[in-house]
Amino acid sequence: MSEAAPSVALEVEGLRSGYHGVTVLKGLDFAVGSEIFAVLGANGAGKTTLLATLARLIPLMAGTIRFQGEDVSALRPYETADRGIGYVPQEKGVFTDLTVLENLNVGGMIGARSRDERMAEVFDLFPDLRALQAQKAGTLSGGESRMVACGRALMQDPRVLLLDEPTAGLSPLYVDMFFEKIREIHETRGVAIVLAEQNATKALQVADRVMVLSLGKAFAVMDATQLTTQQLKEGYRI
Amino acid sequence: MDLKWLDAFLISGLFDVAMVMGLALLLHLQLGLGRIANFGVVGFWGIGMYVYGVLYVQVDWPFGDPWQFLVCAAAATLAAGVAGLLIGWLISDLDTDGVLMGTLGFAAVVQILATTQDDLTGGARGMGGLSFPYDIGTVKQNEFLWLAITAAVVVVILLYVWWVHRSPYGRLLIAIGGSEPLARSLGKSTFLTKLGLFTVTSAAMGFLGAMNGVFVHFLDIGTIGVAVTLAAMVGLVLGGTARVWGAVIGVILTVGLFDIVVQSYLPLPREWYTQAIPVLREALFGLALILVLVFRPLGILGDMRRDRLMRKIHGR
Repeated sequence: MSEAAPSVALEVEGLRSGYHGVTVLKGLDFAVGSEIFAVLGANGAGKTTLLATLARLIPLMAGTIRFQGEDVSALRPYETADRGIGYVPQEKGVFTDLTVLENLNVGGMIGARSRDERMAEVFDLFPDLRALQAQKAGTLSGGESRMVACGRALMQDPRVLLLDEPTAGLSPLYVDMFFEKIREIHETRGVAIVLAEQNATKALQVADRVMVLSLGKAFAVMDATQLTTQQLKEGYRI
Repeated sequence: MDLKWLDAFLISGLFDVAMVMGLALLLHLQLGLGRIANFGVVGFWGIGMYVYGVLYVQVDWPFGDPWQFLVCAAAATLAAGVAGLLIGWLISDLDTDGVLMGTLGFAAVVQILATTQDDLTGGARGMGGLSFPYDIGTVKQNEFLWLAITAAVVVVILLYVWWVHRSPYGRLLIAIGGSEPLARSLGKSTFLTKLGLFTVTSAAMGFLGAMNGVFVHFLDIGTIGVAVTLAAMVGLVLGGTARVWGAVIGVILTVGLFDIVVQSYLPLPREWYTQAIPVLREALFGLALILVLVFRPLGILGDMRRDRLMRKIHGR
């Protein structure tokens, strides 16, 4: 394989992974540049497995993951986080026994920049969190929890942010706000984003490129603007 | 020093309270913050006590106390710490059931070793020859000073726990205890963090074991049974596993109430003291554990905090 271009954040080759010997992802090949890369697919397509595998929380069965040219396939989750891969899971993305401020602080335990500077940026991005600083994360609403989870990951100063269905189960008001924030994070911070979503319409509005997963295989990888409704339906097996 | 207000029972009871409080505080760090369900507290405590006793009694040291005490206590602490490192290495990636079984099994192994290695430990006959590392007068004065030193050690442990709660390290432990899979993505090794915590706290349990050996003067395998773990666990759960003062309040309400108030001040029949009281103690502690888990699952302080929080949020 040729040396990865500097603009390529993640390169995935022949990726196979799953749980307890059951293969969920059946050989994926794709690259993510400095962009918003949407991963679409129906329930069970393998979106969550893919993001957890990229964060190295699930072991690889085969294939390689390269982050900014470095092979990170054999690294542990904390090592990939330290390299600059941030991860926001679909559920349970906050530490419920910690306050909002403490959640952000544990996110900021790595990274070279001043923690206060990063904290100020997170509060600028999610102003609602400023008033909730002292509140236990376990008492927050769904939308507030997602903001904290996202803020915690941003405190790590990631180069690539893996967002697993950040708007699942949220009210339409929060959904719109979150997609705006995703675009803002990418544009103002230059963070590459891998966005797993069920809400294809919204995801395609913010994404630069898209991969449609179908039963663990890449049905299509292309520019978001080129994806047709027919392709999407076929990918979702509707 | 006039110590007329103190009798042997009261000193012994207060020492028990201090000892269990120290263990419960250390268990609080393991269970309350890191969610490491260590049911083998007595194993680490017992290693400290027996390593101290064997070294103090069996080795012909070229120097006397207090150096003999300091060297033996340091070795006992180190031995318990090494045991904590090895056991922690084995259990750190296990689920709660695995940790529970592993630590229980370790405590059983320590008791079996203390029983079978009778050339070293005295086995079932026990081992005497231990003494205070000083002599300031009467037995009561010596015991009282040792009680004060032990209380000071427990205060140091309490201050350490208090510091951990306010440090980034403590927040990381709470994060790991709350959701280890999520904590793995924070950029810090959850395995090494838990292992470090387990090693340090196990070493401190060993030091408390050595201090207990000094106080009782005679090592008996009956003292390293499950009752020690049960007392620390019940006290901690009753007070609140996640609260700094939970262990303190809980142990006062259990060990303090039983070992001091019931044993020292209630007019119980004398014959009860040998057979009935230890059994009654374990039965009452077990009952207290069940009642707390049913009616106040977060413990006294944990539930009070939750109620305050809910009132603040909902304005009731």
